[in-house]
Amino acid sequence: MTRKIKHYRPPGKKKEGNAARFITRSQAVKQLQCSLTLFRKLCILKGIFPREPKKKVKGNHHTYYHVKDIAYLQHEPLLEKFREIRAYQRKIKKALAKKDNDQAIRLQTRQPAPSYDGAILQRYPKFVDALRDLDDCLTMVHLFAVLPASERLKIEVECIHNCRRLSHEWQAYIVRTHKLRKVFVSVKGIYYQAEVEGQKITWLTPHAMQQVLPDDVNYSVMLTFLELYQNLLGFVNFRLYHLINVEYPPILDPQLEALAAGLYALSRYIDARSSMSVEEPKASSSSLPDQFRSQVEVTENEESEIRLAQLQHQLPTNEPGALMHLVQDAEGEDEDDEDTKECKKLFRNMKFFLSREVPRESLLFVIPAFGGVVSWDGDGAPFKEAEQSITHQIVDRPTQGHKYLSREYVQPQWIYDCINARIILPTEAYLVGRIPPPHLSPFVDNEVEGYVPDYAETIKRLQAAARNEVLPILGVGKEDLDDPQNLLVEGYISRTEAIEAAERKQKMEDLEKQHHEELKMELQNLHSSPVSKKIKKSPVKDTESKEESRTDLQQFIEDNERRETLLMPRKKRGLYEAIKKNKERKNAHVNKLKERKKAIEARKSDKN
Amino acid sequence: MGVGKDKKGSLQVNLGKQKSKNTIIKEETISSQSNKEKVNNSEEPEHHQEEEEEEIASDSESDYQELSDYEDEDYESSGGSESGESNSSGDEGSIDTDNDDGMDSEDQSNDSESDKVAEESDSSEDEVAPRNTIGDVPLKWYEDEKHIGYDITGKKITKKERQDKLESFLASADDSENWRKIYDEYNDEVVELTKEEIKVIRRLVKGKAPHLDFDPYPTYSDWFKWDAKHPLSNAPEPKRRFTPSKWEAKMVVKYVRAIRKGLLKFDKPKEEPRFHLLWGGDSGSAEKAAHLSYIPAPKPKLPGHEESYNPSLEYIPTQEEINSYQLMDEEDRPKFIPKRYTSLRSIPAYENAVKDSFERCLDLYLCPRVRKKRINIDPKSLKPKLPSRKDLKPYPVTCYLEYKGHNGAVMSISTEASGQWIASGSTDGTVRVWEVETGRCLKIWEFGEAVQCVAWSPLHELPILAISVGQDVFVLNTGLGNEVVQKKVKELLHVEMSTPADDSGNKSSSLSWVQDEKHEGIKLRHFRTVSAVEWHRKGDYFCTVMPAGESKAVLIHQLSKKLTQRLPFKLHGLPVSSVFHPTRSVFFVATKKNVRVYDLLKHKLIKKLETGLREVSSIAVHPAGDNVIVGSKEGKLCWFDMDLSSKPYKILKCHPKDITSVVFHRSYPLFASCSDDCTAYVFHGMVYSDLNQNPLIVPLEILRGHSSSNGRGIMDCKFHPRQPWLFTAGADSSIKLYCH
Repeated sequence: MTRKIKHYRPPGKKKEGNAARFITRSQAVKQLQCSLTLFRKLCILKGIFPREPKKKVKGNHHTYYHVKDIAYLQHEPLLEKFREIRAYQRKIKKALAKKDNDQAIRLQTRQPAPSYDGAILQRYPKFVDALRDLDDCLTMVHLFAVLPASERLKIEVECIHNCRRLSHEWQAYIVRTHKLRKVFVSVKGIYYQAEVEGQKITWLTPHAMQQVLPDDVNYSVMLTFLELYQNLLGFVNFRLYHLINVEYPPILDPQLEALAAGLYALSRYIDARSSMSVEEPKASSSSLPDQFRSQVEVTENEESEIRLAQLQHQLPTNEPGALMHLVQDAEGEDEDDEDTKECKKLFRNMKFFLSREVPRESLLFVIPAFGGVVSWDGDGAPFKEAEQSITHQIVDRPTQGHKYLSREYVQPQWIYDCINARIILPTEAYLVGRIPPPHLSPFVDNEVEGYVPDYAETIKRLQAAARNEVLPILGVGKEDLDDPQNLLVEGYISRTEAIEAAERKQKMEDLEKQHHEELKMELQNLHSSPVSKKIKKSPVKDTESKEESRTDLQQFIEDNERRETLLMPRKKRGLYEAIKKNKERKNAHVNKLKERKKAIEARKSDKN
Repeated sequence: MGVGKDKKGSLQVNLGKQKSKNTIIKEETISSQSNKEKVNNSEEPEHHQEEEEEEIASDSESDYQELSDYEDEDYESSGGSESGESNSSGDEGSIDTDNDDGMDSEDQSNDSESDKVAEESDSSEDEVAPRNTIGDVPLKWYEDEKHIGYDITGKKITKKERQDKLESFLASADDSENWRKIYDEYNDEVVELTKEEIKVIRRLVKGKAPHLDFDPYPTYSDWFKWDAKHPLSNAPEPKRRFTPSKWEAKMVVKYVRAIRKGLLKFDKPKEEPRFHLLWGGDSGSAEKAAHLSYIPAPKPKLPGHEESYNPSLEYIPTQEEINSYQLMDEEDRPKFIPKRYTSLRSIPAYENAVKDSFERCLDLYLCPRVRKKRINIDPKSLKPKLPSRKDLKPYPVTCYLEYKGHNGAVMSISTEASGQWIASGSTDGTVRVWEVETGRCLKIWEFGEAVQCVAWSPLHELPILAISVGQDVFVLNTGLGNEVVQKKVKELLHVEMSTPADDSGNKSSSLSWVQDEKHEGIKLRHFRTVSAVEWHRKGDYFCTVMPAGESKAVLIHQLSKKLTQRLPFKLHGLPVSSVFHPTRSVFFVATKKNVRVYDLLKHKLIKKLETGLREVSSIAVHPAGDNVIVGSKEGKLCWFDMDLSSKPYKILKCHPKDITSVVFHRSYPLFASCSDDCTAYVFHGMVYSDLNQNPLIVPLEILRGHSSSNGRGIMDCKFHPRQPWLFTAGADSSIKLYCH
């Protein structure tokens, strides 16, 4: 008997299947004739990731790439460009080695630089695609905006500045268009969520503290990502600014920028530009000096005058289409969706003043995004602390010495909680010196999670109250939501909602009852079978019977379960078990929370 | 790339500045070089002049002048060298050198004046001619001669006429300039000192440096600082210092050509706007290339309540819980422990910010991405649709009766064909017959050895019991039934003494049919332990299984003829159990792995059922005969449809421990399995006459009640022949009846 070799491939025949479709990383590097670092860089820039073949022909410990991916890289213009750069760098090195400084300098001035627009366009053929993938980009850029520059790690100052500028530009756009939706202050930083063109974009900005650069991080990888992200964000910003008829890149007032109020400067710029484009040409030209007079006054040096001149120079490009813009803008106002309108109105007619100790960057971004007017303690601020029209002062200190009676002194968390709840919350709990109520994540669906924190309930109540324009009575908020009728009386829930809730509850109850009945019936069946009625081996005591019936019930349910799963195919059974396990884990988590809450409450009541 | 380009721009500016500076420096160096050359060139004639001066000085006779000349010369040379060096030192600039030049020229003029003096004194036109050439010899030698020496052409220089002293005194008295005239004895002439020379002399007399401009205390200049030639070297200036470089000229030509061709550019490259409208039309003109499907990276998980800087108190773990995290495995440990800060200002910097970002980067480019469907199924939909249990009644549900009396584990039970009696065999060595309805023990046999198996004859009119005890198999008369029956039974169970010899001679020498007086029956002595006894449906044959019996492991006995024959087939593997087909002359033998089906009439193997189990423990045949269930020691139960295939139609993993017995009900569509885990499962097993329809299996009930002893649970189970009742024999020495 001749045994047939299973995987024998006759010579000359091509590989097939997974062997032909996937190659390992080292093979790929060999094929591309580049170094591993360059390969990594290309993968990052082109967004090429390893694949998981069904059958790993070369072994389990290899990384596999798709052959087509690699073939795609082979014809990549970026690869050529990087090779060119490498050759060029050699020239510089050679010149330096020969001490031909002249030549070296000359070469250095005109180094070839890779352009990423092709790669970006290929990765994101549509603008929406780019927006969809913007989360990581924004997080990274915002992180690098606060990192210290480091010569050793090759994090250059220009890079940091550029990141800061890009992040400010992005924030200015969000502020201008009121696209911000949710803010969450976590231990890791502040999460923002904006909705641009229907895409929810979430990013994380670190707290404004000195960041440490850990050693166990490969910065070259991060910088490669950052290079791509900077370009991507630049192009995205360009497009967004283009959409709101503002020129990009914006030219900022250096004085304000120097005062670390870059965002404010940008917002002012955008406001000025877009309002200019809306106004009629003559009016705009006349109003322009007014617009910038303040700046001139502030800076009063030649530089800003030059800038002013530049701005004026740029103006005519906008003028012909100004009327068109007017129309467009008018339409644009109407086009704003409900959410945006709501957000725009949240802090309307409110004037905020930030004390020194509050996170200024964040609040300067957040408050205007929701329609508020804000100033801060420091140079270049639009108005001073003594201004009478200020309604709220944001303070984060144990005690406030001098207080104006005309305004409320609240902690910054109030702003964030208001934003997430989309209503103006009562400020009592957030006053100076108090420990504010818990700050809840707006990204959690409490119903799905299965556990609703107390404060979420309170906020829900307040929201409902605000919708009905009925002022909430404090203290009522602690009551249970279980009885919708009760709530209806108090006008907390609109009628339809109440009916719906009641129906839902009724249904749930019905279902539950039905289930219980079924169980009971079956149990009764079990006990009341004709034979068992005839003879009972041992008289059972009443007290015991209860316990027994309970264990019996458990046993019964278990048996039921077992019977049902017995006939499942193996695959389905595995899936079923997994689902069950997951549910149990979730329940355990919720139970733990409830337990802790109970313990806390018990401790509280003990103290009282 | 914004940064890159910006950077470049600024860099360029810097470089530009540097460059311009450099070029300036270069120009300077060039100019200084040229100066140097000039100086060198100008120095050349100076040297000549100096030589000339020397000659002149040698011509003149005055020692004093000679001395002064020497001084001059010395000064000259030192000045020259100084100027040269200062030139090469570069930065001091051209002014110095100019000064030096000026001084040089002054010196020259001085020299020329002295020349004139010499000319005046000598009538001849030639400057050199009147000079005395005798050298440094004592003039005493020429005292008596008319001449004082020779000129350069070799002619005698005649002495001038001596004036007498008076005359010379008068002349000197007349001449106001006389005080500055000195007689040069050597050249025989009077030399008139110039003003400068007098000044020099005066300075000498005073003990000062002879030259006015000489600074005895110059400011110290550090030679090494200037990267210059060490002044101590006295080596002559090499030629290459003052000849134009060939290579430099070549380089210049090269540069010029490069500039003309446009290869060398000095202006800054133009700054292009980095960003433009990339998604201009955005009408999908840039279609995604026909390429692999791009799997977008999953978005990072959004933070929950617990990540808040000020979460609700219940999200913060207690100290004990935090401590318990330390005991956990590294991977199970929660990565983030919630913390509470009472105000925004007290939040510290997050130390893992960079690391988290980095890890996200790694995930983005190193993790293989696989598109997975998130399964969002209601787990109930996964369950197979089964008919309701209510529709499948009746089936045994609860324990109704318990038969107690045995002292050891009950190994086997058997129901009588009418369903009125059951027999049980136990490890205490007794066999009991019970009345089903009342639980009364009717009869007891004692064997003194553990009873393995009991089996009623399937015929109602023949109340015979087959029992296996160790190596013996007894066929006993139970004594039930009326007298006619009893007579028939006794006849059947009577064994002639001669027959065993015949049988043993013919078929199996190790087996003998012996009349057993003690128990009123027949005793069949086997050569190995008998594990199972099974009756044929007609009650005439029964088979016994000896697992250790090798080729004679399965024997078939005929009661009417008292005949024993072995199975005429080769057995593969250890036989475990054997069953007769309920309708046909087919015989099933279960070995440890497989079940073999033989046709007894045709003497051939019909089928081999591959169980795929590790160890088969029991087998039962459906009363219709086409379906077989097999129980195994790993707790699996296989249902074979004989018409379908030799592989199991369904495998049910129902018991966690060994299945000890499986059984079919004779009339109801029920089957049951019992196991060492003290449970018995009752299933609905409907077999349809329509061949296209698969058998329907529904688990109905899990029966509990037995307790385990020595790790054994239920040892045997049997259905009541007519009622849907199940008898179970437990290792806890009780027998239970489950009713519907």
